[in-house]
Amino acid sequence: MKTDLDRLLVDYFQPEPPAAGLARRVLREATVAGREAEDLVDRLTIAATPQGISLIRPGRQERVETAAGRRLVDRAREELHQYFQGQRAFFSVPLDLSSVPDFQTKVLQAAGAIPFGQARPYAWVAKRIGHPRAVRAVGTALGKNPVPLIVPCHRVLKSDGGVGGYIFGTSVKQRLLRLERVTPVLEGCTSTHIVCRVGCPQLRRAKPANRVVFASVEDARSVGYRPCRICRPSQAA
Amino acid sequence: MESERGLMRRVARGDEAAFTELVEGYGPKLLAVARRLLGSRADAEDAVQRALLQCYLGAAGYEPRWAVSTWLYRILTNICVDELRRRTVRHAYAAAPPAEPPSPFDAPGDAGRRIDVARALARVPREARVLLALHYVNGLGNAELARIRGISINTVKSQLARGKSILRAALAEGDPA
Repeated sequence: MKTDLDRLLVDYFQPEPPAAGLARRVLREATVAGREAEDLVDRLTIAATPQGISLIRPGRQERVETAAGRRLVDRAREELHQYFQGQRAFFSVPLDLSSVPDFQTKVLQAAGAIPFGQARPYAWVAKRIGHPRAVRAVGTALGKNPVPLIVPCHRVLKSDGGVGGYIFGTSVKQRLLRLERVTPVLEGCTSTHIVCRVGCPQLRRAKPANRVVFASVEDARSVGYRPCRICRPSQAA
Repeated sequence: MESERGLMRRVARGDEAAFTELVEGYGPKLLAVARRLLGSRADAEDAVQRALLQCYLGAAGYEPRWAVSTWLYRILTNICVDELRRRTVRHAYAAAPPAEPPSPFDAPGDAGRRIDVARALARVPREARVLLALHYVNGLGNAELARIRGISINTVKSQLARGKSILRAALAEGDPA
């Protein structure tokens, strides 16, 4: 039997007509979707020491690597492919930033703290590293980021909302920001009831039809999911 | 009349007329769910458009053991829930104002009451809010709600009961009588 609350909610949730031409807009978008971004990964030079990825630059060049370095480069390339397909919201390949000066290391760490899908101004980074007046130096340090994409300097924008510079060009920077806006961060597997960060190997075994997105680990817990012990999503969201 | 599963088979073959038919059938309900979850009409339109794009591009992966509505609402709620997550992070950083309440000018009926409901719903935990929206927009039953969110039927029941209880209390607080 319907209560007053039921009637109120049925009225509140009345269907409403979308703007005209919705199907046409979606079909038009479908013709261009999928052509973007993916090709970039195959045009990158990626270098690694045995400790981690040390360089990512535009233009593909073959480099001599140790066996350990080769494995890390392959892993980085695979993670980047997944990232560009909207199937990865974090990177787990290790980095080797041992040759990076102290100031730049702090700047890169601050950029790395910007959550996936978010952006911050250069001034935010300067303040975070304790040098609020060093905005220009922050810009220079980010411009020399040895491992762009993995250390997300593309999430740092100008204070006036402008995109700012980027090693791969501003159009790629905008594409990355757009990509991250539509890539979920936390997904649960409906058969195991485990919630993971998107890109976790545990989750990659789950079929797309068996995945649900959550807004937080707490939300997932509230409906009977537990956090993954491999990717530890509590640390991410 | 052609079954919805048949319609989906045509969409999977790239039949644009079938897709348009699907959008005409589901568009208003999808928009209502997204609008009530996200608050703003623009964000809701964007979420619905993204959901329909995923539906069109991923139609070949549709499994006929699922109702079309289950599949569509799964895609839409995944997008809306992620948008809500992003807002939480963004607000923590920028202290931006919460999503706009429904405009009293854009809906028929008792506009004041609708704003009360919007405020009361904001107090309901996210997962329960998603279930309430799906239940009241389309009259979906507990089993389908469970499949959409990948949870047990008992969890659906307890979340709905909890959500309604919070709503009732919040609405009673707002009532002068």
